[in-house]
Amino acid sequence: MTLALPTRRIEEWKYSDLARVLGDAGFGEDSARALVGPLPHGVEAFSLDEANRPDWVNAHYGKLSTNAVSAVSLAKAQGGIALRVHKNTHVEAPLALDFLGQGHVRALLVLQEGASLTLLERCGGGETRNAGFEIVLGRNARLDHVRVAPNSSAVQVEEISMTLANDAQYRAHFANFGARLSRLELTIALKGEGASVDLSGVSVLSDQSHADITTHVTHEVGQTQSLQLFKNVVGGGAQAVYQGKVTVKPNADGSDSRQTAKALLLGPRAEADLKPELEILADDVKCAHGAAVGDLDADSLFYLKARGIPEKEARHLLLHAFLEDAMACITGPDLRESVRGAVSRALDEVTV
Amino acid sequence: MSSAALETKQQVAELGEKYKYGFVTDIEMERAPKGLNEDTVRFISGKKGEPEWMLEWRLGAFRRWVSMKEPTWSKVHYPSIDYQDAYYFAAPKNQPKKQSLDEVDPKLLETYNKLGIPLSEQMALAGVAVDAVFDSVSVATTFKEKLNEAGVIFCPISEAIRDYPELVRKYLGTVVPVTDNFFATLNSAVFSDGTFVYVPKGVRCPMELSTYFRINASETGQFERTLIVADEGAYVSYLEGCTAPKRDENQLHAAVVELVALDHAEIKYSTVQNWYPGDEDGKGGIYNFVTKRGDCRGARSKISWTQVETGSAITWKYPSCILRGDESVGEFYSIAIANNFQQADTGTKMIHLGRNTRSRIISKGISAGRAQNTYRGLVSVYGKADNARNFTQCDSLLIGSECGAHTVPYIESRNPSARVEHEATTSKIAEDQLFYCLQRGLGQEEAVALIVNGFCKEVLQQLPMEFAVEAQKLVGISLEGSVG
Amino acid sequence: MLEIKNLHVAVDGKGILRGLSLRVDSGEVHAIMGPNGSGKSTLSYVLAGRAGYEITEGSIRYRGKDLAALAPEERAAEGIFLAMQYPVEIPGVTTMMFLKSAINAQRRARGETELDAVAILKAVRKKAATLNVSEEMLKRALNVGFSGGEKKRLEILQMALFEPRLAILDETDSGLDIDALRLVAEGVNSMRAPGRAMLLITHYQRLLDYIVPDRVHVLAKGRIVAEGGKELALELEAKGYEQIIRDAA
Repeated sequence: MTLALPTRRIEEWKYSDLARVLGDAGFGEDSARALVGPLPHGVEAFSLDEANRPDWVNAHYGKLSTNAVSAVSLAKAQGGIALRVHKNTHVEAPLALDFLGQGHVRALLVLQEGASLTLLERCGGGETRNAGFEIVLGRNARLDHVRVAPNSSAVQVEEISMTLANDAQYRAHFANFGARLSRLELTIALKGEGASVDLSGVSVLSDQSHADITTHVTHEVGQTQSLQLFKNVVGGGAQAVYQGKVTVKPNADGSDSRQTAKALLLGPRAEADLKPELEILADDVKCAHGAAVGDLDADSLFYLKARGIPEKEARHLLLHAFLEDAMACITGPDLRESVRGAVSRALDEVTV
Repeated sequence: MSSAALETKQQVAELGEKYKYGFVTDIEMERAPKGLNEDTVRFISGKKGEPEWMLEWRLGAFRRWVSMKEPTWSKVHYPSIDYQDAYYFAAPKNQPKKQSLDEVDPKLLETYNKLGIPLSEQMALAGVAVDAVFDSVSVATTFKEKLNEAGVIFCPISEAIRDYPELVRKYLGTVVPVTDNFFATLNSAVFSDGTFVYVPKGVRCPMELSTYFRINASETGQFERTLIVADEGAYVSYLEGCTAPKRDENQLHAAVVELVALDHAEIKYSTVQNWYPGDEDGKGGIYNFVTKRGDCRGARSKISWTQVETGSAITWKYPSCILRGDESVGEFYSIAIANNFQQADTGTKMIHLGRNTRSRIISKGISAGRAQNTYRGLVSVYGKADNARNFTQCDSLLIGSECGAHTVPYIESRNPSARVEHEATTSKIAEDQLFYCLQRGLGQEEAVALIVNGFCKEVLQQLPMEFAVEAQKLVGISLEGSVG
Repeated sequence: MLEIKNLHVAVDGKGILRGLSLRVDSGEVHAIMGPNGSGKSTLSYVLAGRAGYEITEGSIRYRGKDLAALAPEERAAEGIFLAMQYPVEIPGVTTMMFLKSAINAQRRARGETELDAVAILKAVRKKAATLNVSEEMLKRALNVGFSGGEKKRLEILQMALFEPRLAILDETDSGLDIDALRLVAEGVNSMRAPGRAMLLITHYQRLLDYIVPDRVHVLAKGRIVAEGGKELALELEAKGYEQIIRDAA
């Protein structure tokens, strides 16, 4: 396999010119780090830079990654972390996972049957980084995932690829504040009946920042569900990208899928590119998608101003309201509030 | 008018054969030698008695084409085409021009009769002028006088190149540039004939213009070229209907259609395409790789595409609108039905360049058998397109569990005052709908035809009356045998 | 006209009707009453021939023929009409278009000549007026956006147009206010005729105040547990299903 970086000529990278922003150096040869908070009972960790990987790591490591960039991180990453939550273990407090430093890094998370975990992923530092993250959810496992990517002037790419067994649930929220080039790619395979994913995200972008969320959810078997709701507020000369592909495999009857992507453009140089895609190969399915790009509703704005609310504050309020339903499903009030706070600060930036 | 579903049943019963138009007219053909090189291009141009500039234009396209690669990005799959193993020019030998229908080869007239478009009747039908294109050369043009009175030019493009060179030179290749894409470039080099329409300033074309295209000679790639220009304030409605004889080799059809609407002009372009789709096993059928594009060049101009695609083994077409003029309007209404092994990859591009431009896309895709049906569409709003508006509704209906429906919309906006909305749904014919129809006495296939026609209604309504009836019947015929 | 003997019907392998017997003669109106889940709708669907309702035992004879051997559309042409509890919406197909297709499909199946659009429109208009079905409704897509009352009136209009031999009315009273109920009942009563039988399937006695049946049957757990004249309906109303079913046991 060649390790060349994708150019815009590759359909999936049409809106994110990775080869251009990275230049000849690419991601370089460095290895970034993955740090994890204090391990709760029933959770074990293995540092991927150590030798003698245990069987549970070998069984899953490098098995799910699919895209070109992930292949690079697999080839070059020296370290990273593997985590496993034991069978029927319910971890109450959110576990923090931080990616730090420059270069390539890998992570693996395995939830065994009936396990549950809330993961708070933070993309710190602001260095150029390429992360590859594999997640395996066993039967009845439940993962709540919140990922916060603060504004950065670097290039940050992450591929999350995962499989879900019967009745496994994945609920995720991705808050994005843009980077020089920010790309989050999710490749999700619903492999067991009753499996479901609920993805949501908000991107609030200003200046020249960029945020690209690309998802590919495959309903490999029937009686599976996927929901997606992504909202973008784009100011300055920023660019928001959402590419979502849902595939329903032959005979995956009873699949239920809904994707929605919306963007508000706030400035004359802002850009939004939305591509919600359906690939349906079974007939007994419920699939729908919707997408919209526009501006704040002028009537609402006028109404608020007429009640004495200053323009900037009114805009802020309406933008927050636009984003709210995508944040509403974040598990845990503390995490939800912290995302709301970050969004609020970012909105101040874009509504100047 | 009696119900389309019933007529469908009757028609199918009367046919006794699956594909009504599967016959070959035995007329001697004059052909260019097999293969494609500069000499082929010169041969075609020479046969047409074209001026030097036209030959140069073709040669330019050919040289460009040689360096191009066939596109691979669409969802369709087909064995590679050997462009050297085809004839690029075929014309009925009994030429040239006939003064009246009596002089036309009776076999041709018989062909038209089988097609259900007897010219004598067509001529009598008020409001429809038919410029029948048989393979590459136009053989009969009617209603010329009436159009002449209005100042409308409606003629074979080969004739227009000779008689109206300024008009043709001014507009040809300005919407679909010679270099646009592999198939359009090929067409530019070797196009055999086609249609030219010019509606002068302020004129509302007094009748629907209609051309029936037909591929006849075996192994003949068909390269139609259509150019329609509506000058300021003009209006024209153009109908294109297609049928092709049954044949086992796959035949390539790479047409180019260019529409130009100047200030306040309106062009309505309707297509019913039921070319031979191949048999139940996926053998044979037409490859339909078409470039259709309209340029709303003037302020407040409007271009509306309506298509009913039920034929061809492979369809690859994206009738598009460039909304250049302020307040211009683009519309795309589409029904694409793919049954058996058919592959359809179709959609549109709405390029919003001007202020207050509006576009509307209604796409209904129906997949049955083992067919693959893809909607691929782009709505792009450029920075200067203040207050641009787009609404897209994209619905897929699946009949059976072995077919596929794909929706690939691209939405790109660079203007904060623009509003783009896209909705898509996927469904199947509900069991309770089918049962309801059966309980009231409708047969299975009749019920399916009725429900599918209902699903397509928004698009069928856009067609001129004459076409709407034909299209409704086609919907039924194309889905025959799709429900077990 | 209709003779059901020891009928057992399963849906998804689960037995719903378990030994139902019923005889309805020409010119009679029978009411089938029963609590939720007793198998009332299953009976109507199996008579109309809906897929998925499997006869595991027993027989249904209609005018001397084995009904199970006929496809749903053949039953329709033979004069079986089912007014559905939840009439189905078919987007894009106008009501008028649907009526025309159905009338002519049935005529064709019976070897009769088809009617042209004008003749059908005339017939539809005449019957539509008495059922308060407006022109505008006929132009709308079949049942799409119709109120509950409009849907039920349209079912009765179809019954009037098709002139069936055996009309099965499944919960035709549900979702109707008093005025609509009266209108529908008048439509049904006007259809009573010596050559026609009707089966009213209902949960409540209310409908029977307006359409007086010749016989009343109580359906419970997949079989007829009690039978009687029209007074049985009143008794049911007074005592409730549980009491009657217990008395019968």
